[in-house]
Amino acid sequence: MIRIAVIDDHPALRAGLRTVIDAEPGLVFVGESAGDEESVWPLLRRTEPDLILLDYHLPHGDGLQLCHRIKRQLPVPKAPKVLVYSAYASPELSLPAALAGADGVVDKGLAARELFEAIRLVHRGERLLGDPSQTVVRSELERLEDRDRALVGLLLNGAGDAEAAEALQMEPSEVQHATLRILGTLRSQVPTGTG
Amino acid sequence: MPHTRWETRRRLIEGDATPWLALLVAARVMATGVAIGLILLEPIDSALLVLTAYGAISAIVIATMPRVRASPLAWVLDTAFALACVLASGDWRSPFYVLWLTTLALPAVMLPLRQAVWLAIAAPVLYLSLGLFGGPAPGALRPITSETLVIHLLLPAVLVAGLAYATYALQRVQEERMRRERLAIEAERRRIAWELHDSAKQRLHAAHLLVSSLHGRVGPELVAAVERASVELESAAADMDTSLAELRSPLEGRPLHAALEARARELVTDGGPTITVRGEAPTLPPLVAAHAYRIVSEALTNALRHAEATAIEVTLERTPSGLRIGVADNGRGLPETHRPHATGILAMQSRAESIGARLVVASRDGQPGTRVLVDLPAGAPRPQGATA
Repeated sequence: MIRIAVIDDHPALRAGLRTVIDAEPGLVFVGESAGDEESVWPLLRRTEPDLILLDYHLPHGDGLQLCHRIKRQLPVPKAPKVLVYSAYASPELSLPAALAGADGVVDKGLAARELFEAIRLVHRGERLLGDPSQTVVRSELERLEDRDRALVGLLLNGAGDAEAAEALQMEPSEVQHATLRILGTLRSQVPTGTG
Repeated sequence: MPHTRWETRRRLIEGDATPWLALLVAARVMATGVAIGLILLEPIDSALLVLTAYGAISAIVIATMPRVRASPLAWVLDTAFALACVLASGDWRSPFYVLWLTTLALPAVMLPLRQAVWLAIAAPVLYLSLGLFGGPAPGALRPITSETLVIHLLLPAVLVAGLAYATYALQRVQEERMRRERLAIEAERRRIAWELHDSAKQRLHAAHLLVSSLHGRVGPELVAAVERASVELESAAADMDTSLAELRSPLEGRPLHAALEARARELVTDGGPTITVRGEAPTLPPLVAAHAYRIVSEALTNALRHAEATAIEVTLERTPSGLRIGVADNGRGLPETHRPHATGILAMQSRAESIGARLVVASRDGQPGTRVLVDLPAGAPRPQGATA
């Protein structure tokens, strides 16, 4: 039984997800939120989901930054798996998604059975982050400052916040802030250019 | 960039030149008429009459031949001729003075502002020297009153500077208007794109999820319908992506092969197959080009996903019947048994049908790999459902 919460600002998509998830044996839809601060945290505390399907493009902020905060504020073993659900699951998304601690990135264009498969894989502990080519990683890293690049390298290699802080002689809270800032920088624009 | 400014200016003049030209020609004809009238009052000189006919002839040439109108050589000849008339009349207070003034109008409006200012300075100086060394008394000016001299020297300067500035101002206004229009169009495009993305596309995703969740849960008589509906919804979402991409950086304006080259660059990965695009596409109706682009993108994605190829080649070649686009890889070819969920191929097929194209997906004869061929008929019909 996998208990799933959905964070997405589109009511139609939330309703669709609720219907298909409830109809799928082994999956339970436990709650939904449009992604605003007021409803996200109560939802997560109340329902304690196993997995969150999290929209990448939230109107009030960035899905990955929210992912990062969820992972930090609900530490293991309580931390839910986070599957980033994006209308544009481009290779560029892999790097920031990994940095935000997401467990997977899936495209909104997937058919229901493919989505269920992704949900089950992630719940089992696999990571569905894709494997961006060196070119993509390089061009993404070029958008960052040198200091940030070092931090990203450490964090992607599996260092915790405390370890990274020690290596770079920073405060752990600084590492968190820096990560959120880097996620903001790497935030790829919705192709419409409106953010 | 003086060159572009020059071009804008020229286009501005050529663009809606009718009233302006009519005015110029009228002034010229009038000046010639005045000159003829004044000459007739004096003893008739046949050479002068021939020279006078120049005014009328040149007016016709200017009005009918835009190329002559825009040529600096023609301006120089024109002005030199009018000055020759003044010189031949033997007096700088000549009736040909007005004809000469009209010869300054073309360069004044067509030259870039800076050069026109130089012309405004040079014209009175030129006329002053003509008055000094021409007639009536070479070596001395002999104005009737000082006003005559001042008017004769100020008028060309005022005329050239005034015309040049008016043209410059008009040009700025026009540029500003074009810039505003462009910005407004861009803002509108962004708004439409945002609405498509924010609302319609999300609903499509929801519908696709719902329909695709029926897979395996309906009786055999409905399997095909569910499968087809799922494909259509998926294609609609992809169509919307194409439209969004077009709204963002329109394929329209960028030829198909350029768009495909860009797509190929996006898809190439380290250690993945190489993708080359050869050939060029003619200008296609935007929707046809968009569908063709989408079909080739899908073929590339399929080849990358399933073919285990090391090289993929996209070719565009014109055929007697239209345009043939090929996507060939050197991978393992099509599987022996038909894959029931080859939705990619179904989607490509449905797209091809909607633009009247023929799609063939087959293993390559005699060599490893798969080949996708799209034959776009020349003058491809408008896609079904397109009203515009």
